[in-house]
Amino acid sequence: MRIGPPRLKLAVVLAVLVAAHFALRPRFGPSPLAPDLVLVALLFFAIRSRPGAGAAAGFVVGLLVDAVTPTAFGASAFALTVVGFLSGWLKAVVFPDNLLVNAVFVFAASLARDVLQVLAAGQLRSGAAALLVTSPVAALSTTAAALLALVVFRGWLRGVPAR
Amino acid sequence: MAIGAERYGSRADTIAFLACLVLSLVALALPEALRRPIAGTLRTTVLAPVLAVERQAVTSREQRQSTVRLRAERDSFALAAAFVPELRAENLQLRSILRLGNRLGYGFVDAEVLHQTGLSDGLTLVLSAGRREGVVSMAPVIAPGGLVGMVLSVDSHTSVAMAWTHPDFRVSAMAEGGRLFGIVASRRLEASGEIMELRGIPYREGLAPGTMVVTSGLGGVYPRGVPLGSVQGVISESAGWERTYLLRPAVHPSQVSHVMVLFPSRARDTLTAEFDTTAVSQPGAAR
Repeated sequence: MRIGPPRLKLAVVLAVLVAAHFALRPRFGPSPLAPDLVLVALLFFAIRSRPGAGAAAGFVVGLLVDAVTPTAFGASAFALTVVGFLSGWLKAVVFPDNLLVNAVFVFAASLARDVLQVLAAGQLRSGAAALLVTSPVAALSTTAAALLALVVFRGWLRGVPAR
Repeated sequence: MAIGAERYGSRADTIAFLACLVLSLVALALPEALRRPIAGTLRTTVLAPVLAVERQAVTSREQRQSTVRLRAERDSFALAAAFVPELRAENLQLRSILRLGNRLGYGFVDAEVLHQTGLSDGLTLVLSAGRREGVVSMAPVIAPGGLVGMVLSVDSHTSVAMAWTHPDFRVSAMAEGGRLFGIVASRRLEASGEIMELRGIPYREGLAPGTMVVTSGLGGVYPRGVPLGSVQGVISESAGWERTYLLRPAVHPSQVSHVMVLFPSRARDTLTAEFDTTAVSQPGAAR
């Protein structure tokens, strides 16, 4: 499979987002409200890929996330698999260049990830408050970060063909 | 097609999705004994670089916070240290005023000098004791080093004193155990500011530099023996009749923070023994 320049640019953008997630997030302190740039990277990838690739990417990213938060190993993998697959499946209705549609999409994906993760981990009782209070705010900050990334990398993300 | 229309995904996508879903459910169902090694392996291999970056970021944040905290602490200490010399000087003054109070025993009231901003501060002083505390007009105001001035006016809880630096101030003085008498007044020098001059010393008598000049007790206002200053040298001679000497003041009013106001009952006393003349050289006591 040949990797053309648009896919290469997408890979660079994703690498930058993942690096920023681990390099910048801790500088602002341990806040659950900080944007999740790994999720943004996953969504950027999934929306420009086939649903199967999105699901696989979601599974791998989720497994890695689970490795650093091993209380419910597999819960993130489950949630991000679903989110990655649905993102790839919904790409026909999500226009990659439309900021408003992207905002709604990232916000919904962030919330869905949290809900699925809590459900998969069987922590609905203890995590309900976090779902109602923290998750929407975290989803908002993730949405803002995604829009910023879209604006900054607009030239690089445009025209990436789906596989 | 399993899910959605043709354009949304193929059978392979659905199979991949289901496989990932099953694998994640398997991961969820793994016993604790298996989860830990898998998670540990992922952390020490694939995630090692990003965790190193994260660790570096955390360290950097902590160092930044630590720097900010240290800077704030340093500023606080610097601010506190700036007051140390002032507190030390005030402590010295308070200790010496306590010693003087013990020696005087009775007939006085302590007062704080409420220094004012402005050109007249140092010529007149506002004191924190007034009529209610027993202060009366023309009462002598002294400090551990010597004479500061006299009370001009009295309010209920404050009073205003004329310091010896005031142009109208005069006090009868004596030197060498009462052998020589003169009048002490202030004199303004361009370089060193307000100092004292001793007028009216007979021409045939000479005063050696360093000789202590004290109040004579004449006039019934100031008690005898309160230090005024020490002789620095002759500044003028009046046609073979008298000499005027320059005095180094025992106390400079602008540097005094606490004083004692003597009651009229002490005006006829001799206080030579009560004053420690070495206080002239103490910091804050004289310029």
